[in-house]
Order: sequence, then C-alpha cells, then structure tokens
Amino acid sequence: MSEGVLSVVRSEMKSYIWLQTTDGSIQQVEKEVAMSCPVICQEILQKGLGSSKNYPIVLPERVNPALLGLILDYCRFHQAPGRSNKEHKTFDEKFIRMSTQRLCELTSAAYSLKLKPLVDLTCRALARIIEGKTPEEVRETFHIPDDLTEEEKLEPIRNITDDPHIRRLNRLYAKKRQELKERDKPRNTRVKEEHVDERSVDDLLLFINGGKDSKGVQTTKNKKKNRRRKEKEKDSASNHSDVCPLSLFEFNAAYDARSEDNVDHILSSTPSETAKLQDFVELELELDESDSDDGLDPAMKKELDREVENFARILNSNWLERRQEILSLGNERRLVPVSGNISGSISRFTSKQLFYFSFPLIACNCGCLYSWIFFTPHLL
Amino acid sequence: MDDELIQDLISDLPQSIIESILIRLPIQDAVRTSVLSSKWRYKWATVTHLVFDNRCVALSNDRSVDQASLVKFITRALFLHQGPIHKFQLSTNYLQCSPDIDQWLLFLSRTDIKELFLELGDGEWFRVPSCLFNCKKLTRLELFRCELDPPPSFKGFLCLRSLNLHQVLVAPEAIESLISSCPLLESMQLSYFDSLALTIHAPNLKYLCLEGEFTDICLKNTPLLVAISVAMYMTEDVAEHFEQSSSCNFIKFLGGVPLLEKLVGHIYFTKVKYMILDFGLSSCFSYVSLQHAFIYMFSILKYLSIGDYPGRLPITYSHLRVIELYQVSFEDMNEILVVLRLILNSPNLKELQISGSPNTLPAIGAPDLDFWEKECPSDCTLKRLRDVKMTDMSGVPHEMEFIKFLLANSPVLESMTISPCVVMDGKVHMLIELLRFRRASPQAEILFIQD
Repeated sequence: MSEGVLSVVRSEMKSYIWLQTTDGSIQQVEKEVAMSCPVICQEILQKGLGSSKNYPIVLPERVNPALLGLILDYCRFHQAPGRSNKEHKTFDEKFIRMSTQRLCELTSAAYSLKLKPLVDLTCRALARIIEGKTPEEVRETFHIPDDLTEEEKLEPIRNITDDPHIRRLNRLYAKKRQELKERDKPRNTRVKEEHVDERSVDDLLLFINGGKDSKGVQTTKNKKKNRRRKEKEKDSASNHSDVCPLSLFEFNAAYDARSEDNVDHILSSTPSETAKLQDFVELELELDESDSDDGLDPAMKKELDREVENFARILNSNWLERRQEILSLGNERRLVPVSGNISGSISRFTSKQLFYFSFPLIACNCGCLYSWIFFTPHLL
Repeated sequence: MDDELIQDLISDLPQSIIESILIRLPIQDAVRTSVLSSKWRYKWATVTHLVFDNRCVALSNDRSVDQASLVKFITRALFLHQGPIHKFQLSTNYLQCSPDIDQWLLFLSRTDIKELFLELGDGEWFRVPSCLFNCKKLTRLELFRCELDPPPSFKGFLCLRSLNLHQVLVAPEAIESLISSCPLLESMQLSYFDSLALTIHAPNLKYLCLEGEFTDICLKNTPLLVAISVAMYMTEDVAEHFEQSSSCNFIKFLGGVPLLEKLVGHIYFTKVKYMILDFGLSSCFSYVSLQHAFIYMFSILKYLSIGDYPGRLPITYSHLRVIELYQVSFEDMNEILVVLRLILNSPNLKELQISGSPNTLPAIGAPDLDFWEKECPSDCTLKRLRDVKMTDMSGVPHEMEFIKFLLANSPVLESMTISPCVVMDGKVHMLIELLRFRRASPQAEILFIQD
C-alpha cells in the first residue's frame, strides 16, 4: 500500500463519540477530544456508552450545546501536541473573553464535567473580575440581590480594612440605633440594667475586698468564650505588651488606695492607663458572644450586645474629649470621697440617672464600672 | 422587565468553586465579599489560604499607624475565620518582633496548618515561639529573618517536605538535628548563614540550595539528591585549616550523590553587596546570574579542590546533565582538576557552563601544559556534550587548553559560546588560537560574543 492510501485510511479511523445535552440534541465529537473530560472518559470506559447514536453519553444538566462547544474547543486546543506554553497562555487569554454570565455558566459546566484546568482558568478569570471592585460594583456585575436586612446593615460592619468611611458609617449607625432603642423600649431595658448592675457590683466588691487575682476575677466577670482571651492567658507570662486587663486592675488598685482621699489623683491618671482602658473597652466589645451567666434572655442579650458595640464606638471616638469635659467639671465642684460601700451609692440614684449612666456600665460589664464612677465624680 | 429575569449569576455556584475564586483574590477583597449579600456573609471565612502582605491595609505615611492597622486586620481576620487553615503567609516589613505574631502562631498551631511562610522586616529578628514546633502537619516552612530555637523535646516535623531558612539564626546542632528528624524532607534551602559546618542526613532529599558562609559541608546521607546549587563562601583561615587535614572535600560533598542531575556552583556575595543587589529568593532555584564580581572569596570550587584525592573517583554521575560553575580560577591546578574530574565522570553531560574569574592574576612562571596530557586519558569522549558556554574568559593558557580539550573530545557538540572579558589585543590572540583547535564534531558552532 502506498503512503497516501495509508494516511487516508488512518484519518477515517478516527473514532467519534455521541454526546447528548440537556435539550435532547445529540452531537458527534472526536473521541480524543472528548476523552479529556474525566466524566465523559469514565462513562465511555465504565459503561461503554457513546459509541452509537442510540446510546449517547448524557451530559450533566448544566452543559447546554453552546457551552459544550466552548468546552470542546478548549479541549481540542489543549490536547493537541506540539504547542508551546506561550501559545497555550495566549489561547487561554483569548478564550475567557466572554460575558460574565457566560463565564459563570462555563465554570459551572466545567465543574460538572470535572475538567479541572478549565475550572481553574475560569475561577482565575472570575477572581480578576471581582478584584478591586467595591461591593456595589460586584453586586451589579453579578446581579447579586442586596438582601442584607436593615438590622444586619445597621450592625456595625466589621471594619476590617479600617476604612475611615466605614468608621464614620458605623458611628452614624450606632447613633441611629441608640435613638431607636431609646424610643422603643426604655423601661424594660432600664429594669434589666439594674439587674446587671447589681451583679457587677457584687463582683466588684469581691475584688476590692478580696483577692487581687486577675485571672480569678476574669473568669467570674468575663465568662466569655473567647479564644483570644485564653491565648492571652497562656501567653501572658512572656512577651505581650498588648492590651492587658492587668493594667485595668492597676488602675483600680490605684483608685482603691486613694479612695479615702480626693478623686483628683484618679482623674489625672496617666494617658497610657486610659489608653489601655480604652483598648480594653474596645477589646471587650469585639467579642461576639456575651456572658452566659447574666440570666438575660437571648433577645435582650442581642440588644445589649448591640448597645455595647455602639457605645464602644462612641466611647472610643469621644473618650479623650469627654475626659477633658469631666475634668473641667470636676474641678468646679467639691468631690465627695467615695467609701467602700459602693452599692449604697448606687441606690441613691434615681432610675433615670441610673439609666443614663449605666449604659457605659453595660457596655463594658464590670470593667467599665470604674469608668462610670470616673465619669460622674460630681454625683458622688 | 429584563431585570426580573436576570438571576444571581454567582452566589449559587458550588462551594468549591466559590472557594477557588476567593483563594485567588487578595485577602482584603475576599473579606469585602462578606457585605455582598446574606449568602456571601461568611463564604470568605472558610478559605484555607491566608496570604497577608503590605497591601492588605490602606497605607498612610506613619509607620506605626500602618503597623497597628496591619496587626488589627490580621488579628480580626484570624478571629473571624472558620475551619482549618492550610496556608498562612505573612510578608511585610512593617512588623518585626511583635507579640501579636506569637499569638497568631499559637492560633495557627491549632488549625492543622500545612504551609507557613513568614517574612518579616529588618531590625530585631523575630524569635519564633515554641508553638511552631507543635504544628504536626507542616509540609512547607519558610522563614526569613527569624530566630529558631527548637525545644529539646522536639521530635521533628514528620510531614515536612520543603524547608527554606533565609537569614535565620539557629544553632548548628539544632539545624542538623532538624534536618535529620524530618524524614520526608525533599527540598531544602539554607541562605545566609554564618560560619556553618553542616552535615546533612536526609534520605529523601532531592533539591538542595545552600548559600552562605560554610566552614564545612558534608552530604553524608543524601542518596536521592537530584539538584544542588551552592553559593559558598569560605574565609582564608578556614581554607588553610583544611589544607592541613587529609579528608577529601570532593568525596565528602559529591561522593554520595549518584542520581545527581544538575550541579550549580555560584559565588557568594558578602552581605553588603546583597543589599545593593535585588535578590528574589522565592523558590529553591531562583539564583541570580552574576555579571560583575564585587568582593568575592573562594567559591565552592576551591572548597572542593582541597584535600587529597584518592586516585580514580569511584562514582559515576550517570544522570548528571547540567554543570554550571562560576569563578573557576584557571590558575589553580587543583580547581581545574576538580572540573575535569566532574566532567570525566559524567558520561551523559549535556550542558556545561564555566565562568572564569575576571580578576585572574598573571601566571607566575610558565604554565604547566604537560598537566593536560597527564590528566586527561586519551580515550575520553564526552559523548553527550552539546552546549558549552565559557564566560569571563581572560585567555590564559589553561583556559585555552581546556577549550581545546573540550572541542577535541565532544563528537556531538552543537555550540560553544565564548564571551571574553579582555581588551582587543587579547581577543585577537584568543581567536587565532581558537582557529587552530581540532573539532571532533562537524556541526560545532563557535560563537565568539563581543560586548
């Protein structure tokens, strides 16, 4: 046989596979090309399908004829030998130039056929589309419904990238929510707050009278499931100069020692201590879960959590200004020395004042009781 | 009306596709997807690769502010993350030694982490806490500018396959025991160590890359080694100390690597020069091609040339295909001998690249040309040698003899590229000599590169 005849025979020997798409249409495809898809390959080898028109391989439902065409183009190019890496890359770049909708459908189709190189290529393309866009732009590109509820939106967005705009937004949300809360349920919250107050005060008394064991107090006061706190406890021995609740207790100890005298010393606490206190406040408020022992029902807990976060934001932004204010206030009035009987002093307040001043209290559980006292020297 | 028909294109794709997309996004964009819609709120939190660098946070001009915001970002991201973390990469020069990093590592050691890359800034080097040694599933470890101190109870990383320590302060015994206690170690890169005497026991090691000041390298148990790249530096006094000893460095270093396929011997710049040049040491074999020699001391070749050579080398490097040696001093007989030995014991050598030392001192006395007849057996043919590149040639007699030897014994040679570094007269002289040489290969091309 001559060479020419042989080659003709060889090309006629190329085998074909029959594939059926969701719409029922049946296509004939070269076997080598179709075998690059693991799913098709499996069907051929294990079930023996596809060799004739009556027994085609049924493709998964996400693969419509247009997509199948694209996928086969891809397979055809890549399984042909003798092409350099550069050529492959250029082909890929051109290949993924299509509408976003088509790209998503293609990803899904390639995934259902388990064609990993194509899945990787399309995911990379989608990632490139998303990269650098704002959430609104991404929503527009992919027609994602903006279905975060009002409440969820008002929850302070975790300011992960520390965007000043988000910070401002969170502050606005916080103020708005505070107004909402005040309008809606003033009395209930007040009652609950008093409840919370007393507990904290007991702990406070415990601390002032009894042990200065920071860890012990921490566990009674803050039974929050906080990984970070546990890590801190473990690592606290060595090298962390980070937010340290101990600094708070130093502050309290100083307060305690000088409780008989004027409160001036406390007011003039060093900036570092206030900074640490501020950090501690912020730290407390970052926590997702609240005290399980407070005896509050979950709904109330959620509200309190939100208030807590609100006020953290308010406090953190206004801390220093407030301090100045109070300092100037404090200088004008005579400061009554605070005795150890703090629970007694609390009961002196009317419920309204209690309400006003206990927000910071709830905000920071026991820790901020001190700040509460700190804030209102003129009432003592 | 059309808008009603257009559905959400992407949120309903399978989770593995979404994760595949999110992994390819920079971490700050991935986290931003949490505000797209309710379905997207926590999709990013299960991403298994976390890569942090300076671009994660909006930078200001104040370094301490940047540092604080980066720390906050990473801490929050770790805190909000759910599920296992397989890869954690931190490359930033804003953080040096910080207690936050200790906490992050403690957190990561509990998440079955597999790949850890830590590259911190200059300044005080970060002291790696002992919780790193509790990461049982670690397969890749890369540390830049750290201090490593394995605890005595450390039994090794049993799954570690790739180790890259760059400017890491660690005791020599600790390094050796670390290497030998990682049974699966396949790829190792040690860069910028000072005065290290290293004995390597690594039965699975395939790729080795060493750079720095070594006083001794002994590859004791590395039978599977496939590629070696060494940029070595040795001070004068160490070299002298070696002259007195009788152990053969060639055997110590290359005696136990029968499967070697590629050997590269660079020169090592001193640290000052390192800062001037821009190195990108990201993979095991990203070595820089050196054009100018600044300060250099002895290269690997000098190290190899030291010691008494016991006659014929017992090993044949039957897989060795590529040899690249820089800074070969053709004035030193011992170094030439080393090169010859390597070439003659590699029957399948395909590519050879030799770079001479441009600062070659003029020869004292007549060169010993009989040396070539003595050392080269008359029946040696380099049967597979196809490409030879000789750079920084100064035209000294031994260099020309070497080229002559190669041309005469390479029947399948395709190209011989010569780049001289001498003035015009020298070039002409070289060319005249080159013309005379016999060529065993009819299709050999001699390319004489002028600057």
